[in-house]
Amino acid sequence: MNDSAVGAFGAKAVEDVNNAGRAARFIGRALACAFRSLFRPKDYELIWTQMNIIGVHSVPVIMVTGAFVGMTLAIQAYDQLAFMGLEERLGVLINVSVVKELGPVLAAVMLAGRVGGALTAELGTMKVTEQIEAIRSMGTDPIRHLVAPRVLACLLLTPFLIIYADLLGIIGGYFMSVVQLGVNSGAYWSYSASGVELWDVCIGVIKGFFFGGALASISCYKGFHCREGAEGVGRACTEAFVASFISILALNFAMGVIFKAIYNTLWPLRMLL
Amino acid sequence: MEKDLKNNKNLSGPDITPDDGIIVCRNLTKRFGNNLVLDKIYLAVEPHKTTVVIGPSGCGKTVLIKHLIALLRPSDGEVYFKSRRIDNAKELDLSRIRASFGFLFQGGALFDSLNVTENILFPVRQHYKVTDRSGLNELVKMKLAMVGLDGFQKYFPAKLSGGQKKRVALARAIALNPEVILYDEPTTGLDPIRADIINELILKLQSGLGHTSVVVTHDMKSAYKIADRIIMLHHGKIIADGDADNIKNHPHPVVKQFINGQVSEDDLAVLRMSGKDLKSQFLPEDFQE
Repeated sequence: MNDSAVGAFGAKAVEDVNNAGRAARFIGRALACAFRSLFRPKDYELIWTQMNIIGVHSVPVIMVTGAFVGMTLAIQAYDQLAFMGLEERLGVLINVSVVKELGPVLAAVMLAGRVGGALTAELGTMKVTEQIEAIRSMGTDPIRHLVAPRVLACLLLTPFLIIYADLLGIIGGYFMSVVQLGVNSGAYWSYSASGVELWDVCIGVIKGFFFGGALASISCYKGFHCREGAEGVGRACTEAFVASFISILALNFAMGVIFKAIYNTLWPLRMLL
Repeated sequence: MEKDLKNNKNLSGPDITPDDGIIVCRNLTKRFGNNLVLDKIYLAVEPHKTTVVIGPSGCGKTVLIKHLIALLRPSDGEVYFKSRRIDNAKELDLSRIRASFGFLFQGGALFDSLNVTENILFPVRQHYKVTDRSGLNELVKMKLAMVGLDGFQKYFPAKLSGGQKKRVALARAIALNPEVILYDEPTTGLDPIRADIINELILKLQSGLGHTSVVVTHDMKSAYKIADRIIMLHHGKIIADGDADNIKNHPHPVVKQFINGQVSEDDLAVLRMSGKDLKSQFLPEDFQE
């Protein structure tokens, strides 16, 4: 390796470290501003508007995603279980998968595409048309005004959207299993009730906070730091989706490990209560 | 060079103090990577006057004006507003200081998602807790009347022409009755008549409100019309400072070229060298199979 290649590698490493530091600082400030906004009634209107755009408008697409996840699981798993004579246990497989993993992850990925892309494009366009600088020039912190309401809306509403995805996933799985594939309805629900614990549902919902916070922070950061022109905005949207997607998968893995450890340690203690 | 008559001091020289103007830059230097954009600028902006910054595209005019309101932080040097240093101030402190400024951006920078009324009220709502809705509507009406656009309250920016956008942006810039208004290329992209309307508005607001104006432009007609003082930037340095007559008769060759809109001999030589024989150029159809 010659000197110029080493230099280029070093420069890239320094740039990447700088970018990571900038992103961490931005996300830290965004979360701090979001927390403070909770106690500032003046900001409620902004938060409410974003909740409507991010949360309410996402409900149909999240429900459709959840329904197809449940139905696809039923179709794929039925043959294997029927081969072993365990088709009545289809409900456990579908419902545990939906509430613990597939519902939260796929709902968050769908939100990263629908909401994250829109956030990056909106903020990126505001940046290249100097609207963000205009906000600063008028003595307002753009992170407080633009980022905090969006982060807060994603943070608070992603868990609720995941509940919608879970609900439709369960209904979709039931429809395919019982109505289309002829599994006994009573057995389906009875096995489901014995296999799915409240803890499983809680895990999915708690994941929603982290997924929502991650995708909103990353999308806003990419929008705030996008390059000039249409190409810059387009590239920022792509980078935001890819980074959000990877973060969701990484967070899902990390939380899977953490929640398993917590479950193994604490859940047996519930018997004492 | 422009002199402070009272103190007989050069207002763009290294001996200026933070008290010499409403905004003062001392040794202001800005680098973007290895690119030196502003090179040790000393400038005192006099209160209640219109200072126009001229210079070719890319010479650092916009970078300079953004330092005056601390939208950019200098690589070196200081910026003072009313004798208080602002270049190293915290964003929270700056939010109060910036309420004393109005900034007209080159493209207007109106918020697309808000209508004209909401755009004008944006800075008001950020700094004051106003509940009197009729009072706010009256304020918007008054500001729009000042820029000749009363009746456009419900319009969204997408429905406005370029000139109208700049006038609404100007109405927003004066919403808080600022002490200083900064104009970034206010006439760029407008036809001569619309450009002159903006010039007249700047003059009218200046005489009516008596604030301090700093205008960045490369439109010499506009500069001569509105300026009490003109400074010229070249390669990040101030090379001329004076009133319109001083600038018209300035001996510096770069200033002469710029105000007369003449291309330099060096640039002409480059143009002559590039593509000498236009007839021998390839055409797109030459590449067809």
